[in-house]
Amino acid sequence: MKPGFFEADGRRMSRGAILLLMAPFFALIFFAFIYPLGSLLSLSVLEPSPTLGNYERVLENPLYATVLFRTLRIALLVSLLSLALSLPVAILMANSRGPKAVFLTACVLLPFWSSVLVRTAAWAILLQRNGLVNDFLQGIGITSEPLRLLYTQGAVVIAMTHVLMPFMVLPIYGALRNIPSDYNRASAICGAGPLRTFWEVTLPLAMPGIIGGFILVFLTALGYFITPSLLGSPQEMMIATLISQQMRENLDWPFAAALVGVLTLLVTIITIAFSKVFRFERMLGASA
Amino acid sequence: MSQAVSSNVKGASIEIKHLGKTFGNVKAVNDVSLTINAGEFVALLGPSGSGKSTVLMSIAGFERPSEGQILIGGQDCTRLPPNKRNIGMVFQHYTLFPHLSVGDNVAFPLKMRGVAKAERRRQAEAALEVVRLGGYGDRTPNQLSGGQQQRVALARAIVYNPQVLLMDEPLSALDKNLREEMQIEIKRLHAELGFTVVFVTHDQGEALTMADRIAILKAGRLQQVSQARELYERPSNLFAASFIGEMNMLPVRWDGVNAVFSDQDQIRLPDTASIQPVRPGSAILAIRPERLSIAAPGTEGSWKATVRDVVYAGAGSLLITHLADGSEVRLRVASAGQAPIRPGQEIGIKVPPEAALLYPADASQ
Repeated sequence: MKPGFFEADGRRMSRGAILLLMAPFFALIFFAFIYPLGSLLSLSVLEPSPTLGNYERVLENPLYATVLFRTLRIALLVSLLSLALSLPVAILMANSRGPKAVFLTACVLLPFWSSVLVRTAAWAILLQRNGLVNDFLQGIGITSEPLRLLYTQGAVVIAMTHVLMPFMVLPIYGALRNIPSDYNRASAICGAGPLRTFWEVTLPLAMPGIIGGFILVFLTALGYFITPSLLGSPQEMMIATLISQQMRENLDWPFAAALVGVLTLLVTIITIAFSKVFRFERMLGASA
Repeated sequence: MSQAVSSNVKGASIEIKHLGKTFGNVKAVNDVSLTINAGEFVALLGPSGSGKSTVLMSIAGFERPSEGQILIGGQDCTRLPPNKRNIGMVFQHYTLFPHLSVGDNVAFPLKMRGVAKAERRRQAEAALEVVRLGGYGDRTPNQLSGGQQQRVALARAIVYNPQVLLMDEPLSALDKNLREEMQIEIKRLHAELGFTVVFVTHDQGEALTMADRIAILKAGRLQQVSQARELYERPSNLFAASFIGEMNMLPVRWDGVNAVFSDQDQIRLPDTASIQPVRPGSAILAIRPERLSIAAPGTEGSWKATVRDVVYAGAGSLLITHLADGSEVRLRVASAGQAPIRPGQEIGIKVPPEAALLYPADASQ
């Protein structure tokens, strides 16, 4: 390897070195994402014969549109709810130092140590007919009969919010942490009280983190599988469950692939719309 | 110039009374009392850790003093939050809000004061004109150079006509030429608008050229507060003497009339040499290098010295010499018209007695 390969002009690496270091990443992306997605999508238009019939089926039956819109609605609900819950946590974390900061970070990260399945099962136990939540509600006299909490859309939203919240907290925390404290001081000396400073300075500067977290949670929620299938009923079916059903129970891979195609298209459109509306790159640049 | 910023503002006085600030068990500021007159330009000067920034942050309201009181314009502000103090401040790193345009940055304090949109846009543009950045309002801060950004920060600090302007090492991030240009700019604004300025710096040149008075701090304590000339010519203690400019410090014995070197050479000092009374005993004789001149060796009343090094620096040359007792003496002499001097050469040093200062050797003073 020629000298300067990894340190051309002392600061930057040569183009070759950059490509070499990026190669494993691109290889993974290609074999684990682009290739399977590509073959699925080609399946959707080539099987049983070159046709758009699979997509016609998706559009023909209103049931599939209903599932799609329900999925969008649940993903949006989950994103909004976790934004509302995450913002105070992230603010508290960003303003903490020492043991308190460690404790708060641990609280956010600890759930990652258990699998999604365990966390979802925990909600099933809490929400069941004679579970903790029903016992509590009956105990304080809000209801005399146990409520049907499990296998509802509410259960799905609550559990998904719980599982996905760290993906909202961490980007917002990162963005808040990167705001130099001098900005708060400058704002204060200009006459802004703490609330005004938060609204006029902190929130706009944290926007890249908030949008990043929102997109992360929203897109993950769109394709979420385990939680909706364990805590929801068939009436609350989301698109991932539908796709899985088509593949494993009906063995209708071309149709499942068409559903994947529709979902992918939707995700792409939403991502582009987001970045257009919020001028994503500019905000990332401005936060530096 | 617009009326919004030229409506001859009078500054407010600042009284700092027995200010103390303790962080953990470190006393960052220790019993500092200082009265700054309305419209005065005062520089707080000191090495890092001297407490100068803590004093400034206490005036701004970002630090809550552990002891003492701060009065601005006669009003007790010690417990008042920064947003209620109505003072302007320029920070070291500009701190322009990156999500706002230059114009909106300058208009920000007006917005916080409930000024209507059209009016604050007009006043912001006027303030930008004052700092010679008229027409830059629509740009974003990161499109401007460092010097321009700091001028925008200055415009933002003066746009609401505050009576007091605080500056926390505002020029240290700029290169030398820009710094000098900004020094002139700030002096001009101070003269035009008449606000009181408290300026923190570790650059003594900056303090000497800009400030009406300079307050020197060391380890949280105020060492001296005086005008530039007095500070340079009659520093009140050894720290001030060594911190400002170059100073030769020679150990001597003081007998009340004469300063005696260890080799029995002596110099008779006028009464004015000691700023505070110095008791007979060991003392330090301090003298600026540019007050010394070269004489032929053995000249009556001159010190015998051996040249160790000659540093040519254009207009002036620095001579590093040592006396017979080994103590180092530096001279700054004009380069022109000087007979060539080589290291190792013996010379005489002529000392004008009125240029010498005497301090007690006890370092604790």
